[in-house]
Amino acid sequence: MKFSSDEIASVLQAEIENFDSKVDVSEVGTVLEVGDGIARVYGLSGVMAGEMVEFPNGAIGLAFNLEETSVGVIILGDYLTIQEGDEVKSLGTLLSVPAGDAVIGRVLDPLGNPLDGKGPVQTTVTRPVEIIATGVAERKPVSEPMQTGIKAVDAMTPIGRGQRELIIGDRKTGKTAIAIDAILNQKGTGVKCFYIAIGQKDSAVASVVEVLRREGAMEYTTVIAAGASSPAPLQYVAPYAGTAMAEYFMFNGGHALVVYDDLSKQATAYRQMSLLMRRPPGREAYPGDVFYCHSRLLERSAKLSDELGGGSITSLPIIETLEGEVSAYIPTNVISITDGQIYLQPDLFFSGIRPAMNAGISVSRVGGAAQTKAMKKVAGGLRLDLAAFRALEAFAQLGTDLDAATQSQLDRGYRMVELLKQPQYQPMKMTDQVLSLFAGTRGYLDDVPVKQVQQWEKDFLHFVHSKYNSLVEDLDSKQELSDAIAEQVIAAIKDFKTGYKPEVK
Amino acid sequence: MTEGIKHETVLDTGAEQLGKVYAHALIGSANSAGVADEVVDQLGRFVDDYLAKNPQLVLAFSSPRIDEAEKGRVIDRLLGGEFHPVLINFLKVMARRGRLGYVSAVRDAADSLRDELLGRIVAEVRTAVPLDDSLRQTVLSRIAQATSKEVRLVEVVDDRLVGGMVIRIGDTIFDGSVANQINKLSRKVRSGFSRELLQRFDNFAGNGA
Repeated sequence: MKFSSDEIASVLQAEIENFDSKVDVSEVGTVLEVGDGIARVYGLSGVMAGEMVEFPNGAIGLAFNLEETSVGVIILGDYLTIQEGDEVKSLGTLLSVPAGDAVIGRVLDPLGNPLDGKGPVQTTVTRPVEIIATGVAERKPVSEPMQTGIKAVDAMTPIGRGQRELIIGDRKTGKTAIAIDAILNQKGTGVKCFYIAIGQKDSAVASVVEVLRREGAMEYTTVIAAGASSPAPLQYVAPYAGTAMAEYFMFNGGHALVVYDDLSKQATAYRQMSLLMRRPPGREAYPGDVFYCHSRLLERSAKLSDELGGGSITSLPIIETLEGEVSAYIPTNVISITDGQIYLQPDLFFSGIRPAMNAGISVSRVGGAAQTKAMKKVAGGLRLDLAAFRALEAFAQLGTDLDAATQSQLDRGYRMVELLKQPQYQPMKMTDQVLSLFAGTRGYLDDVPVKQVQQWEKDFLHFVHSKYNSLVEDLDSKQELSDAIAEQVIAAIKDFKTGYKPEVK
Repeated sequence: MTEGIKHETVLDTGAEQLGKVYAHALIGSANSAGVADEVVDQLGRFVDDYLAKNPQLVLAFSSPRIDEAEKGRVIDRLLGGEFHPVLINFLKVMARRGRLGYVSAVRDAADSLRDELLGRIVAEVRTAVPLDDSLRQTVLSRIAQATSKEVRLVEVVDDRLVGGMVIRIGDTIFDGSVANQINKLSRKVRSGFSRELLQRFDNFAGNGA
């Protein structure tokens, strides 16, 4: 491809001919001091809170603090070349980001600038970054499932479209892995995914992007990255910007899944800005409105009413705890905002139970409404059984003699724990999950040695898919475990078990 | 107190606030004596003629080591017959309160306060070449017409504008300069060009596939 100089000239000519020269009217101020991503500006007397301002170096700022004699501005961009005395222009608009189909498959910064070297986002659609969430009348209860493809999550803490489910845990417990698996599982469902990386190492973001690309998930995913080296204001607006892009799909009747990875870093960035702006510190030095910072963000995840098209945004915020301390300020705040949490524990993780979900304190407040009928049938009571098993297991370690009933409960528990283990990047379809959980909860695994459960599951699913394919298709289309289908499943399990001989390793 | 030695772009909002309060008081007392214009003019003359030309006087006025009685004597000896008693008293009050270092802030505030009281606005006009009389009249009358207020012009010549004119009233800027238009045009052409480029690339890739 080559441009001839004639073509260049004609493009330029068209641009110049369409140029109308008007007198620019704008409100201005002068930079008093600048540093750490914020500036104090003198003047700008008519500027409104949250309005965009522009610095001479092209950086965009947001009016954050309106004081008696000056305006505190957060700088979304390079603040190192801004000088004292520079003129600041107010733009009279609120911050907005590009939206629409053009952002899909891209890696962007929170202002919508490309980070993937594929050139600017070609779209005329933009959406304001901060909007007030939809009200009561515009919503309807969560009713459709949002399958994550993870057996433990879909069975015990089901997530529905429009729900906010918190993923919480210490560092290195597989929080991001759950979110990524959920994104991978949206392939072919039409759900658009947004992965918002806040304050993370750029290398970590790069590897996530690489995984998504390798697994073919970038076709429906946008990554918004404000890495650890981005100034605090960019980290602060990143989740709002990502939500704005997702809202385009929600308001057009589509579905979106947004992962905020992670909100504790966003709270830290917000704390930094607030302290630099001299807002009074509160608990753990966070400003008083850090709760609002998260609640107004997560409230924008919604399931819209049918009149508005029935679109939804499901969000998976991630919070990193320190030493399992869930009663710290930010974790309690976000727990109280969301519709449930998936709690990941390091000791489970290191004993090989992955995902390392603690079934006892992980909940989903939407619950059964977000499960298919088939899943509800096989997984009902699983969470409580598993929690009871954990208590019993601790008791059994005392070495006391156990009666037969307790022993069988323990045996079932060991096998269920084994069955709920799942390797990374291998989300399972709903039907497969139902088939394996059916075998587990109905006791068909009780005679399989614990160590062979995973192999058994794999071989069994392979067997069913090749020999009982009509059953799988039936289950897939009806999404219901009627008695007839249940009988067929039992028959399939029995058939499989008669001829099955596990490989001896 | 270290005021007076600062870089000139530093805007001390504290001093400005303080200046406003004192200017209010000064104009209030001068008004009740019926000499507001005279006193404000004299204050301006004091800052321009005495303080601006004698940095040592500024230092002496702002130094806390010189006691207020001495400062009062200096004010009497220096300004005694020349300036109105209201102004002399005002300066002595400032001296007693240790605020004599902020006289120029008071002057700025008093100027704008008087403009405000008279319903007058200040318009800064920046041009690439000096204004001539007829143009000045046109600008004055147009601004007066648009704002329906009396206008005081402050003229600045800035050849970086290339041509045209930038008018600033308060915090609002009316930018009709050639430099600004060239800037805007270049930005527009650049973005239009890159859009065209990407579009052609898309067509090219689409056709090739």
